[in-house]
Amino acid sequence: MTVENQPILTLQSVRKSYRGRAALQGISLQLYPGELLGFFGPNGAGKTTMIRCICGLLKPDEGSITLRIPDSFQGSRADRPGLVPQNLAVYPDLTVQQNLEVFGRLEGVRGAVLQQRIDEVLDWSALNDRRRSLARTLSGGMQRRLNIACSVLHRPAVLLLDEPTVGVDPQSRERIYAMMQELTATGTAVLLTTHQLEEVETRCDRIVVMDHGQIVADGQLPQLVTASLGLPHRVELSFQQPCAVELREFEFDEQRLTAVCRLSSMQQLPGVLEVLQNLPEAPQSINVRSFGLQDVFLALTGRSLRE
Amino acid sequence: MILTFLRIAFLRLRNNPLELLLVFVMPVLFFSIFAMIFSQGIAAGTEKPVRLGLFLPEDNKDSRALREQLLQKTSLICTDLRLPATPEQQQRAILDAQNSSHYDLLLQLPSDFSRLDESRFQLRLITDGQNAMATAMVKAILEEYYAVQRVQVVVEKLQDSARAAAKVAAERAAAQRAAAEERAKAARAEAAAAETGRRLPAVDESEGGGQFFNNPTTPEKVFAGSGGAAPLDQVVSDGASDRPTDVLAPPADAIPQEVEAGTEMPEELTEIVAADELISQGAVPQISVDNPQASDQQNPRIAMYAAGIAVLFLLFACTGHAATMLEEAESGTLDRILVSEAGLFQIVAGKWLGIYLMGCMQLTVMFVFAEFVFQIHLWRHLAGFLIMAGSTSAATASFAMLMATICRTRSQLQGAATVIILSMSAMGGSMIPRFVMSDRMKELGRWTFNAWALDGFQKVFWFQSPLESLQPEVVVLLGSSLIMSVATLLLSGRWRRGI
Repeated sequence: MTVENQPILTLQSVRKSYRGRAALQGISLQLYPGELLGFFGPNGAGKTTMIRCICGLLKPDEGSITLRIPDSFQGSRADRPGLVPQNLAVYPDLTVQQNLEVFGRLEGVRGAVLQQRIDEVLDWSALNDRRRSLARTLSGGMQRRLNIACSVLHRPAVLLLDEPTVGVDPQSRERIYAMMQELTATGTAVLLTTHQLEEVETRCDRIVVMDHGQIVADGQLPQLVTASLGLPHRVELSFQQPCAVELREFEFDEQRLTAVCRLSSMQQLPGVLEVLQNLPEAPQSINVRSFGLQDVFLALTGRSLRE
Repeated sequence: MILTFLRIAFLRLRNNPLELLLVFVMPVLFFSIFAMIFSQGIAAGTEKPVRLGLFLPEDNKDSRALREQLLQKTSLICTDLRLPATPEQQQRAILDAQNSSHYDLLLQLPSDFSRLDESRFQLRLITDGQNAMATAMVKAILEEYYAVQRVQVVVEKLQDSARAAAKVAAERAAAQRAAAEERAKAARAEAAAAETGRRLPAVDESEGGGQFFNNPTTPEKVFAGSGGAAPLDQVVSDGASDRPTDVLAPPADAIPQEVEAGTEMPEELTEIVAADELISQGAVPQISVDNPQASDQQNPRIAMYAAGIAVLFLLFACTGHAATMLEEAESGTLDRILVSEAGLFQIVAGKWLGIYLMGCMQLTVMFVFAEFVFQIHLWRHLAGFLIMAGSTSAATASFAMLMATICRTRSQLQGAATVIILSMSAMGGSMIPRFVMSDRMKELGRWTFNAWALDGFQKVFWFQSPLESLQPEVVVLLGSSLIMSVATLLLSGRWRRGI
């Protein structure tokens, strides 16, 4: 990851309402060059509204959105974000090449430059051998890659992706993330909205959680876990009979059938487990787990259904 | 940028054989079916010009102006007829002209007709009800000519009972002719001498023309009139041609007065008898009309059906293409385009232009096919066709874009468009010719594109009217196109809001 100090995109107290219903309630966010930002939240949290505001499709009621183009992008048409919608936003009746041509033209790229960019993008998305195929005849993974390829022809400084890996096989998913890594390596900032938490955990440089039109968490995973759940590791003991012995660092429930201990590091685990040797009766089960993004997400947004 | 949208439309069409088939082949197929049906029916065979008998006052300049206009219509063969002074004689002359089978229609204009006070007058189109197509055509020509003068054209149909009575009267009169034979011969000789000086410049005497004007007459005795479908009571009225025509029963004086055998025939009746004889003998002065276009034209009405089917399919095709806006909105493609350099105006304009050009191509394919198969003389009417095709395509493209902007989903658009298009096509004449509709339905049809478009194509290919006559149709079609385009632009902001 190549993250410069100056943010490429800055949202400052952005507010947006639809017919009196607040969709964004003072969003502030920075996106840095070369950063892969995982952005997620429950359905209806305001993600799409925020993306539409960043794209310029919607005008915020309040606040500001600033795009600062790094010098490395000067001369290109990078001042317009690239948008990759969730659905297949290409023309199914056009070939891969034709889709790239028309979307390149719509982005203002013409002539030899366009042809060069099309060749580059086809290589980048591994679609070169299917350039003359109609988009509708491509596999799901290829269509997803074409969907992304059509948005980068003008070399945008910021790329916004809405669930780019829905419904694709693991191989295509790997390829898509490899494409994004290559993009961020050139300084492009990528904002990725997804519900694939595992991918966000492992692929993204930073994670932002949004709910009820507000950003409720922003940072890297350990920071989010600590901020929302406290210590990141958990040891849980279960007993068949109420445990009569007091265990240091463990908390029992009322029936004393379950005891829980939180650890700041897995290195503490051997020391914690050592106390079990003094128990008259061994626990029925020992469960050790580290908190993940799902735990953070549920902790921040609750378990009630939103739709 | 707009060219990019045209390129997208072109590539999508080119890459999709099924859509090509639906847009260009299907309308031709349907048109062929319609044309085959009608070429065996009401529009069969080589098209003959309509034979129009004119009862026009000779000393009236407005009447002469109308006559000049009618003479210019290559789809008409006009014949000047003389109407006697008294109501009885007038009624007899009209009936005789109708019975002679020399005229498809009769046109009568009041002797005191004046454009300065034209709203007082009615033009009477008199028909035997056998030729609805001809009646519709002549009525349309007259309405077009008098559109700004508020003159009402009344179509009157002779009733069988009155015609039978007229025949009986004619037979009785014929019996009396024997007694008055000498006087009648003298009258004919006198009429023949007089006709030489009265003949109109364009008169064709090949069928014995000229004898009809033998009988001396005065301007007051001459009526103007024409034939169309209408009740007899008007025909046999007291001669007040501006009288309302809503009375179906013939008046008491509708039957010609009987003349007792052996009595001497009055002078006026003798004139009528003479005219009647001439008509029955086919000795009718016919104005020669140069008709180079219609003479070898296989079937100009086929062009009307081509237009009807073409407009119907054009509406469906345009709406189908406009639905791509909704398809793109649903898939997110429209958002991607909106984020690009293209503005909302360019998107709407580009889409509109693509639909417009496709509409023009569709109409062209249809009429070129009709030209090759049915010889509608497209090349001779090319300018009129281009004007009407352009205007019609513009209106349908705007209609389709407005529909796509108003509807929220493709299924909504499909349902609404089907109902509206089929309704417009039914009322506007794409399915059923407008001339067979009631006046009320014709008026309602004026609220549809189809009616204006078909009227325009009808003028071009059937009436062979000059291009200037297309002005009302073009103004309405382009005007409505402009209004709907503005409405589309005003409502298109919803695409940005994603709703």
